[in-house]
Amino acid sequence: MTSLGGSSSSTTEYTVRVPKNTSKKYNIMAFNSGDRVNCSTWTQARMERDMSARRIYGEEETQEGAAGSEFGKKQREEARRKKFGIVTREFKVEDQPWILKVNGKAGKRFKGQKKGGVTENASYYIFTQCPDGAFEAFPVNGWYNFTPLAKHRTLTAEEAEEEWGRRNKVVNHFSIMLQRRFREQERGEDEDDEGEKSGKKKKKKGGRGGDLRIHDLEDDLEMSSDDSDSSMGEDGESKTKAKKDTGKGKGKKKKKKSNEHEALEDSDDGDYEGLEVDYMSDESSSDEEPEKGKSTKGGEEHPKGIDEASESEEESEEEKQNEEEAKEEEEEEEGKKTPVQVEKKKKKDSSGESESSDDSDIEGETASALFMKKRTPPKRGGGRGSAGSSRTGSRPGTPSIDSASTSNTLRAAASKLEQGKRQTQGPSTDSPAAKRLKMEPSSQSPVPSGKTTPQPPSGKSTPSSSDVQLTEEAVRRYLIRKPMTTKDLLKKFQTKRTGLSSEQTVNVLAQILKRLNPERKNVNDKMHFYLTE
Amino acid sequence: MSDKTEVNLTGVKQSKGVWLVKVPKYLSHQWDKATEKGEVGTLTIGKKQGKTEVHFSLNEELTALGALGEKDASLQVPRDHPFTMNTVGGQTMAVFSHSEAGEISLEGMVVHRAECRPVVNDNYMKLKKLQIQETTKPQRLSQQLEKAITTVFKPVANHDFNVEYEKKKKSDGKMVRAERQVVLDMLFSAFEKHQYYNIKDLVDITKQPVTYLKEIMREIGTYNSKGAHKSTWELKPEYRHYQSAEEEEEMQTA
Repeated sequence: MTSLGGSSSSTTEYTVRVPKNTSKKYNIMAFNSGDRVNCSTWTQARMERDMSARRIYGEEETQEGAAGSEFGKKQREEARRKKFGIVTREFKVEDQPWILKVNGKAGKRFKGQKKGGVTENASYYIFTQCPDGAFEAFPVNGWYNFTPLAKHRTLTAEEAEEEWGRRNKVVNHFSIMLQRRFREQERGEDEDDEGEKSGKKKKKKGGRGGDLRIHDLEDDLEMSSDDSDSSMGEDGESKTKAKKDTGKGKGKKKKKKSNEHEALEDSDDGDYEGLEVDYMSDESSSDEEPEKGKSTKGGEEHPKGIDEASESEEESEEEKQNEEEAKEEEEEEEGKKTPVQVEKKKKKDSSGESESSDDSDIEGETASALFMKKRTPPKRGGGRGSAGSSRTGSRPGTPSIDSASTSNTLRAAASKLEQGKRQTQGPSTDSPAAKRLKMEPSSQSPVPSGKTTPQPPSGKSTPSSSDVQLTEEAVRRYLIRKPMTTKDLLKKFQTKRTGLSSEQTVNVLAQILKRLNPERKNVNDKMHFYLTE
Repeated sequence: MSDKTEVNLTGVKQSKGVWLVKVPKYLSHQWDKATEKGEVGTLTIGKKQGKTEVHFSLNEELTALGALGEKDASLQVPRDHPFTMNTVGGQTMAVFSHSEAGEISLEGMVVHRAECRPVVNDNYMKLKKLQIQETTKPQRLSQQLEKAITTVFKPVANHDFNVEYEKKKKSDGKMVRAERQVVLDMLFSAFEKHQYYNIKDLVDITKQPVTYLKEIMREIGTYNSKGAHKSTWELKPEYRHYQSAEEEEEMQTA
């Protein structure tokens, strides 16, 4: 060891030795920094290899010789394995994890798993300083990452999944492990005769505890709880199935009964998670009553289908109708409309004509829910010069909003077509937004129907330039073939193909349906029309 | 469960601090070539303007790349290796050793990590180039042959193996039926060793013609056509005594 004196630096030299005797193999014991392991606090430690993997590798040897063995079985098995290319990895003791127990029974336990790839590209050495000042370098044989083992009880994977399914319902988390402990106790005690009795008691307690727990949170909740109950029951099924059932069966029965009464739809876990609730507003620029009715729906798309609208409006229609009528100015259309309305209501026809109430309802709702309040676009008034101005005014001009929002080209094209084809129809130029197909509240609808009754039919037949014509015959054909909802029918007669604007399509279709008077049936909660001929 | 080995905690108690040093492969190769004494080089620790510098210098005799004793002037392993020191950074690392006798002892705690880097110069680059060339060589080589191989798979009238077999058969002759009692003895002793036998194996053991053997087996044993031990013969229950090896009892009905 030489020390060189330097002016600003001092260096010392040490020899490095790499001892040749390899009796001891050096390994690294690495801990996670988060575990805050301090080796100096260890008073006592024991370590051994974890051989639990051996039984996986070593196959169960059947009795060698005499009973139960076959002549040449081993060779045959080996030949078979080779033939199929099954390569069984050998069980290497060197690669097995370590189990480290610190400070005796009450202390911590660690599991050290070997980290692979450490010695592949670079070698690690441990440099220690010897008393004589020289350094000794030992090669590192292996690297083991030691992680602390949980001493508290944990749930198995199946149990954990089960509990996850109940996460929204269970509030008392302590009871989860308590239940598990009871279950384990039962399983253990089942073996003794005496134990059984106490097990029953305990189980009942547990069952009652379980019942309590379940009932705590559920008044009238769905049946998914039943499933979890039964699965919990199955958990302890090993020997205590019958007993368990008696205990938990009560809970189950109760549940089932309550559920029978309610006939609720089963909801799966997570059904309620992403639920959006439409904001309920009691104010609106216009038409407050209809909005109330609408607001109960919540979360629905604003462009409602004709049928939805009509159905939903069913109840509110009557009251609204009156109110609407009171609001409406007197016009021919009104006069015609009311009987039409009544008719429609009775027949449950859907159409744009169906009502100003409908229209305004929807308009009102959409207006309040989506658009800014009190938008009174001038275009609207200008566009529909005809009667119903108050009505038109009352409708916060959604069409114009729509027209503003839709592409001008679409509107222009549609309006051109319409103008070209239906000059008699008056200022029905606005084409609603692509969105607002069905329930287009337009003053036009009353206009044509009011003014010129033959128009709708003519309206149907004249724009016959495109492939699909919105004729009575076409509709009849469809309805004979299979029952359809109004939505479906509308889809068949798309605006671009028929050349009609969506409002017109709606009106015309409504007329046709009125005339056809198809039969209705409810399929999947939707009203389907069909004809039989 | 094997016995737990008490871990010798003296290293930790004394708070022995060690360094964990990452060393390049070629350098560790050279160290393996060291003499019995084990000296491989010198470590220089200096303080330059407040910074600690550690430098390792390889011994002269170990710089040769070739086998020990040779002096390969062309390529030499670099001698100078500065160490880059890092702190352990919060991670607790200890060193434990286990001997062949099964003793485990905790040698110490890691206080510093270091990386041994060579000084990069032309010599080193050449060395690296060589290394890369070695590693990029494919393990398997495809080689085109000029002529087609004609030495194997020639058409033969009769293969060697076949010829031998036939000769053996001829010399051994057909299997002769031995005395029934003798055969039974053989069978019973065989079934003492294993419970299930294939007919082929029995033929092999007893050297009896198949029909004769089958006749005898039908008398004393049953055939398993299904189950775990498929298509095997086993003794009838009354002949079986697998707990005790009593030959007399097995032979009683014979």
